[in-house]
Amino acid sequence: MSSMTCETAREQFSLLLYGELSFDDEERLESHLEACAECSAGFAREKSLHTALDGIEITPSPSLLRVCREELRARLAEEEAPRKAHLAGWWEQFTDLLTGHKAGFGSRAGFVWKPAAALSLIAIGFFAARLTPVFSSVGAGPQNSMSMTGDPGSSRVRYVEPGSDGKVQIVLDETRQRVVSGRPDDQKIRVLLLAAAQDPADPGLRAETVNILNTSAQSADVRDALIQALRHDQNAGVRLKALEGLKAYSQERDVRGALADVLLHDSNPGVRTQAIDLLTGSGSKQTVERNLVGMLQELMSRENNAYIRERCRRVLEAMNASVETY
Amino acid sequence: MGPKSGVQIDETALIKAAQQGDHAAFEQLVRAYDQSVLRLAMNLLRSTEDAHDVYQEAFLRVFRNLHSFRFDCSFHTWLYRIVTNLCLDHMRKRKVRKEEPTVLTTADGPLDRMDAVPEERVDGDPARHLFSGQIRKRIKHVLSELTPRERMVFELRHYQGLRLRRIGEILGTTEEAAKNCLFRATQKMRAALGDFV
Repeated sequence: MSSMTCETAREQFSLLLYGELSFDDEERLESHLEACAECSAGFAREKSLHTALDGIEITPSPSLLRVCREELRARLAEEEAPRKAHLAGWWEQFTDLLTGHKAGFGSRAGFVWKPAAALSLIAIGFFAARLTPVFSSVGAGPQNSMSMTGDPGSSRVRYVEPGSDGKVQIVLDETRQRVVSGRPDDQKIRVLLLAAAQDPADPGLRAETVNILNTSAQSADVRDALIQALRHDQNAGVRLKALEGLKAYSQERDVRGALADVLLHDSNPGVRTQAIDLLTGSGSKQTVERNLVGMLQELMSRENNAYIRERCRRVLEAMNASVETY
Repeated sequence: MGPKSGVQIDETALIKAAQQGDHAAFEQLVRAYDQSVLRLAMNLLRSTEDAHDVYQEAFLRVFRNLHSFRFDCSFHTWLYRIVTNLCLDHMRKRKVRKEEPTVLTTADGPLDRMDAVPEERVDGDPARHLFSGQIRKRIKHVLSELTPRERMVFELRHYQGLRLRRIGEILGTTEEAAKNCLFRATQKMRAALGDFV
């Protein structure tokens, strides 16, 4: 076994401590350390350094881990929603096509047309497009005016039929797309926006629509739509957007009712956090109506989010209320 | 290196089930690894906020791309590639931004990010306490001076206990390159902390 210089030995101290030296290298280094007092002392210092480095390791708290897991679950649900809606939409079309259900076919007709309908699925791939209106340039047009332009529509093959002359007859369901533009406070635009805010298939569309509606939250029908979205939308992102629009109206009775409801029942900690901030004001010493006390006490007993619990506790303490129910 | 749970789980079956859309299987996979992912991000980034972001983004990417996982490497290596890339991006951005304030403004007033970080163990001797406090401060400073790659290799080897070979696989480099990185990192720390130990 060849000897080792002190310089080489020092370079390998940390690798020895990490167990990353080959068997032969480890043997050589240990032999050197036994024979060299200076390197042996240096190695002892290296060990102390390693021990000192251990002292700064951070272990994340269980509450942080819990918050991370809760949020991930909510975000995964958001990821899944459009995918499921998309799949459901296609499945519906597929089954409609095969059974002729929506076209009013009897079961026999559905059976007869299955091969042709299956072929038509290929065509659907080309024709399928969103059937909901496309909004663009909202607010960019002249004030209080609406403009509409025609656009090639989306088509759907309803059924196909072989003709007597070797041709084929295809029946299409067609929906023309139109671009509608106007200010959000225009009544016709408003109606479309309120409908889009409830589109069950597209959370992205709902979020964008709610975002636009937020600018008109002074209107009672818009506020109702925002409250509806806050209470019932499946997507936490949409609910958070609706909360943003309702911020300025957090003193209104119907808004406070909705906030209290989501604080107790919403599955998303981010939504609950925003709700408690709005219900209890920005400062913990702010006066909060007495009827909130019971709800906050109930929340303390069931809430597992550390921030919300702390917020509850502070507000209850500021009101000289017990943090527990008896 | 697999999940830390003592229960032996058939990871391949879990991954295949998760690839088929089984949510419970995906959640089991997350729970098998998420503590070590969060610990890695927390130690590298020293910010609960950034660690939280990395956690979310990493597992969302896993969720979106699990269908393309072909068992060419272990799931752990695949997951850690995602996590280390995200952490390296954060560290590089931070190097560009230089110093980041540790105090955040919240609805409840100022909050120091590091308040969420548990205090290290101290003993009863005040002089010793002061001394260990100085060492910790110096170590944190030295770690922040390492290049993102040196920091990453050191973290994976020293705190996560991964072998250099595995670190090379995760970072897309050779074992030798990872060893050189570790060597440079320990050399810098020895130079900076030699007086203290």
